[in-house]
Amino acid sequence: MSTKTPAAPAGQQAQQSSPRLPNPGTKRFFRTIEPYIWIAPSIILMAIFIVTPIIKVFQLSMNKVTRAGKLKGFNHFENFTNIMKDPAFSLVLKNTILWTVAVVVISTLLGFILALLLNNQFKGRKVARAIVVFPWATTLVIQASAWKFIVNTDYGTLNTLLMELKLISAPINWTSSPTAWFAWEIACGIFVTIPFVCFCVLSGLQSIDNSYYEAATVDGAGYFQKLFSITLPLVKSSLTVSTVLNIIYVFNSFPIIWTMTKGDPANHTDTLVTYLYKLAFYNGKQGEASAVSVIGFLILLVCASVYMIYTLRKGDEDL
Amino acid sequence: MTQTAKKPVSTKKTILRLLLYFVVLDVCVITLYPYFAMLCTALKSREEIFSGGTVLPITAIWSNFIDIWSRAPMARYMLNSVMIAGGSTIIAMLCGIPAAYALARMKFKGQTAFLGFVIVSQMFAPVVLLIGIYQVMQTLNLTNSILGLVFINAAFNQAFTIWLLRGTFMGISADMEQAATIDGCNRIQSMMKVLLPVAAPGIVTTLIFIFINAWNEYTVALCLIQDDLLKPLTVGINTFNGYNIIEWQYLFAASIFAIIPVVILFMCIEKNLVSGLASGGVKG
Repeated sequence: MSTKTPAAPAGQQAQQSSPRLPNPGTKRFFRTIEPYIWIAPSIILMAIFIVTPIIKVFQLSMNKVTRAGKLKGFNHFENFTNIMKDPAFSLVLKNTILWTVAVVVISTLLGFILALLLNNQFKGRKVARAIVVFPWATTLVIQASAWKFIVNTDYGTLNTLLMELKLISAPINWTSSPTAWFAWEIACGIFVTIPFVCFCVLSGLQSIDNSYYEAATVDGAGYFQKLFSITLPLVKSSLTVSTVLNIIYVFNSFPIIWTMTKGDPANHTDTLVTYLYKLAFYNGKQGEASAVSVIGFLILLVCASVYMIYTLRKGDEDL
Repeated sequence: MTQTAKKPVSTKKTILRLLLYFVVLDVCVITLYPYFAMLCTALKSREEIFSGGTVLPITAIWSNFIDIWSRAPMARYMLNSVMIAGGSTIIAMLCGIPAAYALARMKFKGQTAFLGFVIVSQMFAPVVLLIGIYQVMQTLNLTNSILGLVFINAAFNQAFTIWLLRGTFMGISADMEQAATIDGCNRIQSMMKVLLPVAAPGIVTTLIFIFINAWNEYTVALCLIQDDLLKPLTVGINTFNGYNIIEWQYLFAASIFAIIPVVILFMCIEKNLVSGLASGGVKG
């Protein structure tokens, strides 16, 4: 580097003479736009592959659309009214809400309890944590096919296992009705969501200073008193993040239902996303499918704005 | 631990401890059960699977694991998955590192708006946007191409990338970079030479996390890829999941190949990922 120093002043002079603005001004100008250059690649990537599809979907939902996806003009929200008129839609909406609420609530509860357990010191804790992470890492399609196999009446391993253990004498039909299938899909959803909640809570638990508990013990607080007045308030932020993210993920979850039942029979196990997939790619009703997407956004928007307000407010406190 | 061991342990504590072990053991067994079922099934013959009645295979047919490679273009699927996941990771990082750096180290107008957009973008899962994505890909001539999936995965992982990396960068003091700047480094040099090496654990965590997400992606690939030879593993293994007959033994043998690399990677980052998620979340 030292050998090159003599050349530097010359270069600086050349730089100074070329722009019209005086050097401090250029520098300030560069300072102002510099951050935007840094975020530009990310913005371009998201603009093309996220924002444009969003705009397209909104456009399609407002227009009459041909099967080939060509726009044929504004049709006075006919796509939305068509969807509302479809008797299947209310069933699908009901399923979506049931699916999201059941999976998120139960997995949050169980994940929280599991995190409390795993936060104890015991032998094999590391192994247990590694095992619990498995379902999170496995792709949902595979996890769902495994469960589809397990609950099969004729050759599923659940029946086989229960019969080997002499708990039942004849195979049970676990999936006798659409409701039963849907329940199994929810179970599978819970199964794969627990690890995420568990690890979010664990990270919150590990940041709690032990002295709080010691002080509380000295004051004669019982286990549940400590749980509700120390643990819960301190892991609240981790729990909020995991819950809101889970609402979004679970609401939009496609592979489990698609693999196990494809939403059949007759939309009885459909949620919004499988319903719109079928509308768009099986029935060629892109306009109606986009309307379903928009309805989905609006529902999620409420959740996401809560999340955004919460996290940004948090950020301001830190800054 | 040794201190508590020396003290006399009350019966209540022993019972609680046993209960803890019992519950944790149960959880582990239930968690591993699907994998156990998959492995057992992958080793059975077709006849044995459909006649039912056995948990463990009567005779383990290891050849199932070899047959899948000739029954379906498994090697091709695997290669596609590696290319999609690897490509997405590279692009997501190339776009995400500068953005996270700007968010962590600079102050600019629209910072909050950008961060807000990043958070809201998580709300739009690819499934909901599939129709829009399909049309954009048609315009760009990227349907039925691996490159298209690379871009989609990279874009939809931007939020996480920026989130995790911003948390990591903000957790590192800017003093050293400032010192480097005084020594004559420009921003890019001080980032590359000072910040990135220190932030390496966080970066590796993010990298692996994106790789896993892209590897496990199913829906967009299912919709965009028609050519059998371009399918990633998640979509490709459904070759064994036909309309009339499901070749469970092959499906699960192939699934095991798809799971193993990811589970190993995941276990490597599990600890860092969680603290990263939390710090990103708490630091906003």
